[in-house]
Amino acid sequence: MTGITALGLPEARRNEAAALFRARGVPHRRIEDWKYSDLKSALGEGGIGAAVAQWQILHQPDGVELFDLTQSNPPEWVLANFARTTANTMSAASLALSKGGVALRVPKGVCITNPLKLDFTAAGHVRALLVLEDGASLTLVEGVGPGHFRNVGFEFVLGEASVLEHVRVSPDAGEAVLVEEMSVRIGAGGQYRAHFAAFGSKLSRMEVEITLAGAGAQAHLSGVALLDGKRHSDVTTHVIHAVGNTHSTQLFKHVAGGNSRAVYQGKVTVAQGANGSDSNQSAKALLLGENAEADLKPELEIFADDVKCAHGAAVGDLDAESLFYLRARGIPEAEARGLLLHAFLEDAVAEISNTDQRELVRTELLTALKAMA
Amino acid sequence: MSIAVETKQQVAEIGEKYKYGFVTDIEMDMAPRGLSEDTVHFISAKKGEPEWMLEWRLGAFKRWLTMKEPNWARVHYPKIDYQASYYYAAPKNTPLKQSLDEVDPKLLETYKKLGIPLHEQMALAGVAVDAVFDSVSVATTFKDKLNEAGVIFCPISEAIRDHPDLVKKYLGTVVPVTDNFFATLNAAVFSDGTFVYVPKGVRCPMELSTYFRINASETGQFERTLIIADEGSYVSYLEGCTAPKRDENQLHAAVVELIALDNAEIKYSTVQNWYPGDENGLGGIFNFVTKRGDCRGKKSKISWTQVETGSAITWKYPSCILRGDESVGEFYSIAIANNYQQADTGTKMIHLGANTRSRIISKGISAGKAQNTYRGLVSVYGKAKNARNYTQCDSLLIGGECGAHTVPYIESRNPTARIEHEATTSKIAEDQLFYCLQRGIPQDEAVSLIVNGFCREVLQQLPMEFAVEAQKLVGISLEGSVG
Repeated sequence: MTGITALGLPEARRNEAAALFRARGVPHRRIEDWKYSDLKSALGEGGIGAAVAQWQILHQPDGVELFDLTQSNPPEWVLANFARTTANTMSAASLALSKGGVALRVPKGVCITNPLKLDFTAAGHVRALLVLEDGASLTLVEGVGPGHFRNVGFEFVLGEASVLEHVRVSPDAGEAVLVEEMSVRIGAGGQYRAHFAAFGSKLSRMEVEITLAGAGAQAHLSGVALLDGKRHSDVTTHVIHAVGNTHSTQLFKHVAGGNSRAVYQGKVTVAQGANGSDSNQSAKALLLGENAEADLKPELEIFADDVKCAHGAAVGDLDAESLFYLRARGIPEAEARGLLLHAFLEDAVAEISNTDQRELVRTELLTALKAMA
Repeated sequence: MSIAVETKQQVAEIGEKYKYGFVTDIEMDMAPRGLSEDTVHFISAKKGEPEWMLEWRLGAFKRWLTMKEPNWARVHYPKIDYQASYYYAAPKNTPLKQSLDEVDPKLLETYKKLGIPLHEQMALAGVAVDAVFDSVSVATTFKDKLNEAGVIFCPISEAIRDHPDLVKKYLGTVVPVTDNFFATLNAAVFSDGTFVYVPKGVRCPMELSTYFRINASETGQFERTLIIADEGSYVSYLEGCTAPKRDENQLHAAVVELIALDNAEIKYSTVQNWYPGDENGLGGIFNFVTKRGDCRGKKSKISWTQVETGSAITWKYPSCILRGDESVGEFYSIAIANNYQQADTGTKMIHLGANTRSRIISKGISAGKAQNTYRGLVSVYGKAKNARNYTQCDSLLIGGECGAHTVPYIESRNPTARIEHEATTSKIAEDQLFYCLQRGIPQDEAVSLIVNGFCREVLQQLPMEFAVEAQKLVGISLEGSVG
């Protein structure tokens, strides 16, 4: 026996995922959550296929353990954490159809300073699991390689007081259709910081569901999207304050030029009794192209009364007064616009705490901004 | 049959909790139970409608048979058996009266209990009241004054008879027959409602008002309202409702269509205080309403103000289609859900024309085990140059077992458009409550005071006649929710 079946993963669970996907089928725009990203029509005749995508570790710092999911006899930590969630349609598809993937672990109390670099490439379905045990810390740099259609199902398990910084850069992938579903579970005092930089593709969707499962757990999400041409980028988040005294923030800045479409759907749920939850959500989009579109849906679902929850969203053009201020000081219009765009995006980029990664994302953005000007 | 001893008794039993919960026993003229083409024929025949209207209804009914009940809203209720209801009920003495003296004294008595003494209201408030008792309009006042101004204000069944051209031209143009499950059902079986036409350049001389009441047991009420403000005209319309207490769930699926032509303005205000069910979530009205305004003309304006305190289930999204250039849409809402009430309400602002503006202020209050959802859409289309929207949705939670939810959709397809959305969620601050208690203000009054403060921006939008009633309602709806 090889592959996932060899994991000892109850066959029932995998079958369950397959059945769930069969029942729901490929999501399309009539499914409310997929209103702005019609996966079915983007995929066309080919559908989601059954190919297997690849993963690649570019840099594996000392202390990070790795298990190839095609191998037999998985260790206990893989068995305990793998495929815990199957409620998401596309995640169920990745579980049902992927034959391999990667599992990574940072053992208890181990703090790793060098970033772990993981890329997904080729077309098809793939699974990944990252476990940070209690008190561990890591920076994960996720690369999004080429591939016509790829579906990644990524699970994160963060133990008590562990810290994960996750930076995901998704370069302009042309005609590719890329979807990724992440599920993150954070224990007491754990912290998840994520930054998603997206340059879009024919259809690209990144979905993340975060459960703040222990008191003091925190999630800080930020992201930028810079789209041109006919690119599409969809960031869909769901933060669940399952217990009280948890904290989440979200800051997303999207710029849509040409005929592109930038989507942000963010949902914050505060469970009953989760008093002392604090959540803040901000999503802003700038439209540059006459035919560009920005869609924002910041959603709150609150079942507890002693909470602080706020969200703000705005769509517009660059501020005319700011532009005038710069023009009045002799800065040419194109340059002035570039400066203001950079400033607009910078707020979100500044959320990345790893300085090297922050610099990298910034450089990518500046290059893309120049190309757009 | 005197004014039923039992009615008085019932009122006494119900006590203060729901003071409008009583049943008047007037003989009803009923359609047979259930829904079929025959029901549609029956209603149409009862109303003495022309052939085209019957065809319109039958078309809607055929369409309805192919439709599915929507399930996307955050409301849960037992499956509605559409065959178990009566679709038409009218007080026996239907012919319209020339004056109040001719009106069945029992009906007048009912209105008195509701706090709508017609005489007083005529004299004091200067409000023309088109009172709808269940399905047929019985008393219409101030007709002469309105006639003078050329304003047509009458039951829609009368308009179908007397002004067929106007009805044909506008009916179903804002909420098409095929719009949604409940609107289509309404198109097939609507029993009556209000028709208003304000001619060119006329400022309607008074606030128009209708009181809707649901009376006969197990009768769904299907109102249809059509208001047309011709070029340069202005009209303010007030709608207020109460319903008798009863255990069966009652279905209400109204449709309201507003049309504002060039430079016209319509202000539509609602206080909805239908029976919300008891403390255990038993009974109450199911309120599935489609309300939509079309700013068809340039510089037209439609403003919705609603205070939603009643109904077990509220499913309601008064919307504006901002078609004309420089048209304006507004939505001011207070939704209060207590005990087991469920409210899913909000608005849609569809910006089609250039320089269109919209403003949304929504205040949701949840208490007990209630669920309150704001669901809204602001959509700017490609041609809506310089469109502008500002949205503010605030939620207030009272107690740890209720829910407050916000689901705003924002879609922009024009770079010159500016859309802003803000939302907050909070609870009644302990220090505010303490401050009031310390000064000898009882808890319920303190809650009412604080909540009224929270809602002030919306209450200010109500016409004065309603503002007072609405403030009281806010307090009554939340009685006993704290402590």
